[in-house]
Amino acid sequence: MSRRIAIVGGGLAGFVTYATLRHGGLTPAEIAVFGTNPDPAAVWRRRAAAIRQRRMRSESDGHCLPTTFPGLAVRAARKRRSIAPLIASVCDRYHPSVEEFLEHVGELRERFGWDESFHHARVARVRAVDGGFEVGRYGTFQHVMLALGHPGLQLPPDLEGDPRVVHAYEPHDYAGRIEVVGAGMGAATEWLNALAAGASVVSVRRREPERRPLNLPRPLFTRRGLAVFHASAPAQRTEFLRRWSAPSYPPGREWDEPLADAARAGRFRVSAHLNGADQVISATGFKRGFRHDPLLARLVDEHALETVEGWLVLTPDSDVPALTDEGRTLALAGAPAQWAFPAADTLVGAKYAARRFLRRVQGCRTR
Amino acid sequence: MSYTLRGRLESRLAASLPPLFAGCALALAVRAWWPLELAALMIAVGLLLDGALYHRLLPYQPGWLALPLGVAELGLLMALVLALDIEAPLGPALGLFAGSWLVAQAFGHALFPLVHLSYGDDGGELGRGGPVGAAAVLVVLAAAGGVAWATQPPTVRLAAGVHEGPLVLDYSQKLVGDPGAVVRGGIIVTADDVVVRDVTVIATENGIEVVSAENVVLERVRVSGAVLDGIHVRRGSVTIRDCLIHSPADRYAQGIDISFSIDLAPSLVEGCEIVGGYEGIVTHSAQVEIRENRVRDTTLRGIAITEMSMGTAEENDVRNALGVGIYCGDYSHCLIERNSVSGTRPDLASSNGTRMGYGILATFGAEATLRENKLTANHRRTRAFAYARILRVG
Repeated sequence: MSRRIAIVGGGLAGFVTYATLRHGGLTPAEIAVFGTNPDPAAVWRRRAAAIRQRRMRSESDGHCLPTTFPGLAVRAARKRRSIAPLIASVCDRYHPSVEEFLEHVGELRERFGWDESFHHARVARVRAVDGGFEVGRYGTFQHVMLALGHPGLQLPPDLEGDPRVVHAYEPHDYAGRIEVVGAGMGAATEWLNALAAGASVVSVRRREPERRPLNLPRPLFTRRGLAVFHASAPAQRTEFLRRWSAPSYPPGREWDEPLADAARAGRFRVSAHLNGADQVISATGFKRGFRHDPLLARLVDEHALETVEGWLVLTPDSDVPALTDEGRTLALAGAPAQWAFPAADTLVGAKYAARRFLRRVQGCRTR
Repeated sequence: MSYTLRGRLESRLAASLPPLFAGCALALAVRAWWPLELAALMIAVGLLLDGALYHRLLPYQPGWLALPLGVAELGLLMALVLALDIEAPLGPALGLFAGSWLVAQAFGHALFPLVHLSYGDDGGELGRGGPVGAAAVLVVLAAAGGVAWATQPPTVRLAAGVHEGPLVLDYSQKLVGDPGAVVRGGIIVTADDVVVRDVTVIATENGIEVVSAENVVLERVRVSGAVLDGIHVRRGSVTIRDCLIHSPADRYAQGIDISFSIDLAPSLVEGCEIVGGYEGIVTHSAQVEIRENRVRDTTLRGIAITEMSMGTAEENDVRNALGVGIYCGDYSHCLIERNSVSGTRPDLASSNGTRMGYGILATFGAEATLRENKLTANHRRTRAFAYARILRVG
């Protein structure tokens, strides 16, 4: 394969990287994308459908375009011929619907020629070699972005093997009495879904969830907050990442009122323990740490890369310092890139990594 | 957006470029410095607020906050414009500010993210474009300042002592008299943008004559011995401040006469003292604001706004006029407010019924609007003659 740039991972983080590279002037012929499904939204679509998500948590900036403007609010305003989405966006109140988001992904897929670069392949190994990286058996590439996604669904050990248990991100219906384990966005969505389906719900959680509009405080999405994060020592950084990965969901009446109504009717309560419900929904998110991803685990072991606890150490630009130099780049996007950007598992985080990857590719004279 | 301090400053400066260029263009178009002064002040206020206030108080700035912050900046800017005496007309100045605000919003939300991909991630920093934008603003301001300095009219100092006139000022300049500087024989101004300050004039016919010249400033001038007018303006626009006109050499001499300038920028007569003469301050077909002057002992009228003039007489003190204190005549439109007119005497030697000691008089289709004037010991108070109207407000 003669292409110089590889994106390993065909999900949304890989797609954002691809769109950004194309925006930066690279042609489909210069980029190879390796993934298992040509639809970049396939995995995300399945998970959103499982929790019956209707609106995005992200605001107008939560899209796959390489530039923040025009975002989905502008697109909606144009389509509906109304300035209401723009006003909502200016007030941080615009949350695109899942349909709008998926439509937009489809449009970009066509516009940027994603399918021309896509290769149906599961890459098991990436290895540094002279002048670049060997990507599985598909050749050597000078610049590689690993956009591997989450390494799997997290299930608490005490729930493993229990036939009543289903993970929130797997397709499921609702029984009459349900216990939802977890307290993040997925759990909150499941409380409302199950109540709407007529079930009685027990929220099983060990601590109260935080209420935040986005996954992280807003300054952490820009250099203002990141400067402090990047300057902190490894121990502080891991502490910080652990603290901010605690479950949260947005504030607002649309969340509180149905729960308050159900609580008054005796259909919703909070408990610290499971208590024999018909169905247990584990809204406990994803596995964390590079060790859960075989490709990353092998990469770290083969090259003795620096890690801190479960995190692979990256530069602020989201690349692997030991394997990146003037002539080649190995970068990470998505959840495993949290060492560079705490909200790496969001669309904004994917763009953060993609823009810096593009900068490196463009800055490399032997591109 | 969560701006870094550098991001705020770079964004502010880069978004200031279009208004700055607009200010330059407007300054050229109207031949005045206020658009550039205003643009520079807007930039300075913005940078000051960014550094001293916004960065500390706003770790995250939602888009909607731009509106109240813009209104607050406008208020501060207007206060500074008044304090610094920048002569910016309200409408165009508001237009420039509103345009600048809109440009800043469009740039911040649309243009900057388009041209600099990581604008949002970088907290508003513009990469290499940031210092370039800042440098461009500084270069434009420095260039404008250089032009302003280079085109300043030269200052000519008039030494103490008597100088034989008439002095003819036929190019833009500042004529500043040292204490004791006297010109005998009058001063004639025929060029725009002339300033005459601290000069005593002993007139022959007119004391100071302004002919076909605009933006002329006469400050702290003293005129005596005029046969015709102490200050005589034809086809010109002038600002006359703190003058003294006295001791006319002829019973028909006038204090200040501004005429035939209705199509030019309004003139201002402020803080002058006029003693004696036929008419104290008179306008014919001109736009004039006459305020805070002291006029006394005139023999025809104290202040006259006439022959289709449009004028304001405000807070003047007119005393001991013979015939009429303040006059609005010949289809003029006059706003006469908060003046003090006292001791107006009837002109018994005249058989003219309109000269029977009226404090304020309107004649010949003129329309005078009166508000809060103090009329004391005049032979008669107010009257309208010959299709003129007096409207009282308040």
